[in-house]
Order: sequence, then C-alpha cells, then structure tokens
Amino acid sequence: MIESFAHLEKLAGGRDLADVFLESDEQEHAVPGDQILEALRRRRAVMRDCVERGKGGGTSMGKLVGNEGKLLNDAFLAGKTFMDPLTVKAEIYALSVMGENSRMGVIVAAPTAGAGGVVPGMLLALEEERHIDPERTVRALVVAGGVGSIIALSANISGAAGGCQNEVGVASAMGAAAVAYMMGGSTRQSIHAAAIALKNTLGLVCDPVGGLVEVPCVKRNALFAVHGLTAAQLALAGVESVIPMDEIVEAMVRIGRALPRGLRETAEGGLATTLTGCTIGDRLKNEANERRAERAAERERAAQERKESVSS
Amino acid sequence: MAIRHDRKVSILDVMGPVMVGPSSSHTAGTARLGRVAREILDEDPVAVHFYLHPPLGATYRGHGSDFALVGGSIGLSVDDPRIPEAIRIAEQMDVDITFSEEDLGDVHPNTVRIEIRGKTREAEISGSSIGGGVIEVFKINGFQTRFKGDSPTLLLFYRDRPGMISEVTKIIAEEGINIASLSCSRKQRGKDAFMQIDVDSPMSEAALQRIRAMPDVEEAKYLDRIP
Ligand code: SF4
Repeated sequence: MIESFAHLEKLAGGRDLADVFLESDEQEHAVPGDQILEALRRRRAVMRDCVERGKGGGTSMGKLVGNEGKLLNDAFLAGKTFMDPLTVKAEIYALSVMGENSRMGVIVAAPTAGAGGVVPGMLLALEEERHIDPERTVRALVVAGGVGSIIALSANISGAAGGCQNEVGVASAMGAAAVAYMMGGSTRQSIHAAAIALKNTLGLVCDPVGGLVEVPCVKRNALFAVHGLTAAQLALAGVESVIPMDEIVEAMVRIGRALPRGLRETAEGGLATTLTGCTIGDRLKNEANERRAERAAERERAAQERKESVSS
Repeated sequence: MAIRHDRKVSILDVMGPVMVGPSSSHTAGTARLGRVAREILDEDPVAVHFYLHPPLGATYRGHGSDFALVGGSIGLSVDDPRIPEAIRIAEQMDVDITFSEEDLGDVHPNTVRIEIRGKTREAEISGSSIGGGVIEVFKINGFQTRFKGDSPTLLLFYRDRPGMISEVTKIIAEEGINIASLSCSRKQRGKDAFMQIDVDSPMSEAALQRIRAMPDVEEAKYLDRIP
C-alpha cells in the first residue's frame, strides 16, 4: 500500500505515475488496471457531457445560481474575455459542471460533488487547449484519484469534517498533480504541484448559504481550478514546496479539527450567517415547509379519492 | 472528526462516483445507504422510515437527501437521473415514507437509521455517509458490523454454534473465492449471530445454495458492490 507521498516518490522512481497508482490499486482492491481505466474513460465522457449540458445554463434548486458557465462562455465566444483561453475555459468548465450539480444533474464526484468542477475544469481545458490525447487525460484522472486516495488515508474528504479545504482544496491538489503529469512532469513535480495547491487552500471554511451547494461553491470551483493550474505551472518550472506534502495534509487535518462547527457545512457561520445569507436561508426554509405541506395535502387528497372509489 | 480509513479508498471511489448532484455526502452517500437497506430487504418495500441524526436532519432537504434516500430505498442507483423524482415514484408505488429526527449518539453528522418493510420481510440498518459517496453501515438488523458496500459481501444470519465459521469459509474456499475480511457479532452466546464476509470476486449461486443449506443458517444474503 502507498502509505504517504514520501513513500510514493520512492516507490515510483522514474516510472509512469499512473502505472504506479494502478498497480497499487489492483493489489489492494483486486480491480484490474484495465477495468479502472475503462471506468475512468466513461467518467471522462460523463464530465465532457456534463460540461456541454452545463454551458446551456439553467436554475439551481435553491434558485441562487446556475447560469455562471453560460455567461462566461457567451462572453468568451463573443471575444469579450481578457484572460488567456486555457484559464477562461477552465473556469467555464468548472462553472458548467457545478451548474449541473446544483440542478441535480448527473456529475462525477471528484472527489466530492461540491468540489466536482475543479478537476474536469483543469483537465478538460488543458486537453483541448494543448491538444492532448484524451487517453492521457484518462491516465491523469488515475493520478488525481491516486493523490486523493493518499490524502484520504489521514483526512476525511468532506466539508463537514474539516471545511472546504478538505473538498475544494483537495480537488485542486489532485488536479494540480494530474496537470503536472499531463504536461510531462516528473512524479516529484506532481507531488509538489499538489503540495503548493493544497498548502494555499488551508483554512478554507465551509459556510454554504442555506446549506446548499450553491454559494460560494459554484464560483469557488472555478477559482480553484485556476489555482490548481497555477500550482502545476510553478512545480513544472522547478518550484518546490518547503513544507512536504505529507506534513501539509497533517496540517490540514489539524486545522479542520480546530474549525468551529459553524464553519463545517452546518450553515451556522461565515457567509451563511451574513445578512443576505440569513435572508436567503429563511426563504429556503419557508419554501421547503410549503412544499412539504403541499405534498402532505396531495397525499391526503389521493387517499381520500382512493377511499371514495372503494366505497362507491 | 477525521476518520482513518481501515482500508485505502480506491481510485474509483475518489474519482467518483458518477452521481446525481448536488452533494456527494448528502446525495450519493445517502442514496447508497437507502440502496443497502433495499438490497438487504431483497423485495419491493411497502414502508420505509428514515430516522435522521440531527445534523443531517437540519441539512437534508436542501441537498435533496430526501430524494436520494427514498430513491436508493426503492432500488435506484446514485447515477439514476430519476432520483429527483424518487419521492413521486415511491408514492406511485404506494410506499409509505416517513422522515423524523433521532439522536443516534456519538456518530458522524450524516448518519441515518432506516427501517424498511416489504410484504414478507423487514430490515433495519444504521449507517453514515462519510464524504465523497463513501458509506459506513455500522448496524444491520441489530448486529454491530462495518459494511462499506465496496466489495461483494455475504451477510449471514445464523444460530451461534462452534465450527460455523470454519464450515462457511471452507465452502467459500472450495469455490475458489478469496476472502478479504470476515467479522462476526452475536447478541448472546448460542443465540442469534451474524457474520459478514467481504470477498474479492463475485459468488456463484451454487456456493450460496450450499451455505443456505447448512444447519442453523437462518438467512444468507449476498450483496454485490453497491453502485
Ligand atoms: S463550501 Fe462547503 S459545500 Fe461548498 S464546496 Fe466547499 S466544502 Fe462543499
């Protein structure tokens, strides 16, 4: 079993990083490597599909978000964006996935649904902009998953456990390592890409307005997709994290424990308890209660009708 | 609370599952918990009661956990686009659904107890959705266990007696199947007991028949990976 990132670097030597992860997973979970690759091929396709659907826009369940991907895509197509195409596309794709997610569309949790826009945003934009073979993207997904699985040895991957650093932070670290891999970087560079990305998300709290995965989650995915690309860029140029990746994960766990409950997905702190956050939270609660009452009344009516049809 | 996983999470668990949004712990994990209850019941449900641990009780509706729990309990998978319609579908199937809050003790915030009843049987599970769609079921029909739904599993309900474990494992070995882990629990010596055996490869109907035919076996349920 790959126990740590230090262990991974030693084990990998000069070998292909995706192969190292596939081998280790095969040993531990008895799932053959080609099956993992096949499943990830399908997941890459779901990601692509999700991006396409998401670009069309729509409204989220809580009606707070949903059109961000469409807005940016429209601006991009009209030549009205000022950043380079790779960055803009990474943002469009991340936003589109999250738009779909907020409408209960089909997505890939990577590693969670709330952080599910980061990895596809980075990888699919890079694939397109640098004309990378989709099969290489599939292998990069192995790298992303492998990095996440080492982090998951010591950290619970959820906002409830340790705040958003545990979700979006982890996603951007996974994506950064995968991007370094796609660009031909070494295993050491992938690990440092992950380290630089994760290190700079530490302390990120989970404070979703009304408890929905909408605000700040949707836009946060776009911003941290770019964050991950930046980390990979630094690592590929030879920049290294002074604090080793394993120690950063440890710090993340400690910070997560120190976070008050109100900042761990409960919607009882941070943005969720701003004036606007509370107002929206109250509206959502009222609407949910109304829907529940409606459903109960509907059931009542149906039961009544059944009774009447039996007695007549 | 950070949990150290007993086993390393697989690549496919991290880069997945493919699921209906919006939250892997509130939608995917909960749908899988519902699905576990349905698989253990092993027939169409007529009533499902969900007892939500208070933190989940506070957040479940906004995340569509109600759709997901119900969807799973009527047999839908986490990636089934009908999950947003699950409650309506359950109503059409005439399934009696209720939600209430219950303090389930010192457990993960996203924990639920599910009572499910069919025409001929009933089942009960308690489990947590610990993030990324990963679940940990810690109680099945009153027995302590640790079930994650990530490998094919045999659940055995039997009357406790010496020699039972070796007889069961012998049959499984003869079928050429490798056991990944095995755990037992019982309510009292010589009384109802429970065995959970995680295996590496799918089990044949023949092996199951042999196990079911063993003396003192009340019920043998085989669950594939919970998608
Ligand atoms: S703020 Fe919370 S709910 Fe939103 S993406 Fe981050 S961890 Fe998930």
